Amino acid sequence: MIPLSVGAHRVVQGISVEHVCGEPELSVERDHDLMMRITQAALTALVTKVDAPTLFEPSDEPMKEAVHAS
Amino acid sequence: MAGPVRIIHYLNQFFGGVGGEEKANAPVEAREGPVGPGRALQLALGDQGTVVATVIGGDNYVVEEQSTAVEALEDAITRFKPDVLVAGPAFDAGRYGLACALMCQAAQAKGVPSVAAMHPENTGVLTLRKELVVVSTGTELAEMQSILARVVPLAVKLGQGQELGPALEEGYLPRGFRRQVIRENTGAERAIDMVEARMAGRPFESEVFRRDFDLVQAPPPVPDLSRATLALISSGGLVPKGNPDRLESGRTTELAHKYSIAGLKEFTVEDWECIHTGFHAGIVNARDTNYVLPLRSMRELEKRGDIGEIYPLFYSTAGNGMAVRAARSIGEGIARELKEAKVDGVVLVAT
Repeated sequence: MIPLSVGAHRVVQGISVEHVCGEPELSVERDHDLMMRITQAALTALVTKVDAPTLFEPSDEPMKEAVHAS
Repeated sequence: MAGPVRIIHYLNQFFGGVGGEEKANAPVEAREGPVGPGRALQLALGDQGTVVATVIGGDNYVVEEQSTAVEALEDAITRFKPDVLVAGPAFDAGRYGLACALMCQAAQAKGVPSVAAMHPENTGVLTLRKELVVVSTGTELAEMQSILARVVPLAVKLGQGQELGPALEEGYLPRGFRRQVIRENTGAERAIDMVEARMAGRPFESEVFRRDFDLVQAPPPVPDLSRATLALISSGGLVPKGNPDRLESGRTTELAHKYSIAGLKEFTVEDWECIHTGFHAGIVNARDTNYVLPLRSMRELEKRGDIGEIYPLFYSTAGNGMAVRAARSIGEGIARELKEAKVDGVVLVAT
């Protein structure tokens, strides 16, 4: 996808252009949970060493633990 | 005008046989006839042209003593009466390329057209692109014959006082000039031809060039998020409701706006809006502004201690038709401020 092809190193997969960090079709509760998972994927990206453009996908399950460096 | 074109060939101290790096301060001198690779140039020219003289300059000298170097070239022009100047090939040698560019510029100022040859990323091209006719080269000496074969037709044409056609047709580096031309087919027809060629795996020429993006090394990871300050950036045109500071909604060249989020738990549709007109912002503006910058989640993570703190200002711009050049300078401006503020990382949400 575009950010990877222009060389951005840490890219998180959002939902869509019109609602990058959430999904209006979901219930408010599940939408908020989705936004949290997307945000946590961003944190994961920040603590991950990368050499080349890398895509980070939000987890499917709600994340209960803090994001740690791996 | 008929007859062979008269050529002055510009070379640096190395190709001119004066010496290596230790002779980079050699002053500019002129000699009759071809020297070094000039002989290959003469062969390639055949009876279309004559290398009447060679001007040789030390790489440092020409760049540091520009006016004296230019005077020496002007003397050679007066003495040898060339129709055209050929400079290089300089390959990827930066000082040599720059010297070639300066010599070409000086010759052109005296009414003598010129053509240089060097690598497209040579400093000579980067600084004087718009003023020069440059034949693109690689970095290897072994290419010399093929380079000269491409230089010759341009040198002859220029020497005969002819106008050059478009860069890609004539074989020189595009200078960024646009001229109006009449096409036989409409844009739609040409686009369909290109799609057909592409799908059939046939070669085709794009009419619009994609700019090259910079390759940047990935910064190392943030060592400890729980003590880190993270800043937020939106390229979705996120602004206080009413857009009080008139952030441009597209094709922006102005620097990013900054807004305080100190103490703010989340963006609300009452107080904020997206003015980016390149996507349908109706959903974000009706349902949840945080879709475009997830402040709500970031605050929760900050409260839980997963993040040290969120930087109290966020940067906002609209990435709608933003030129690469503008993106680069806006990004550099933001980065400079964030570095000064000792911010450890950034979350940027694009649309």
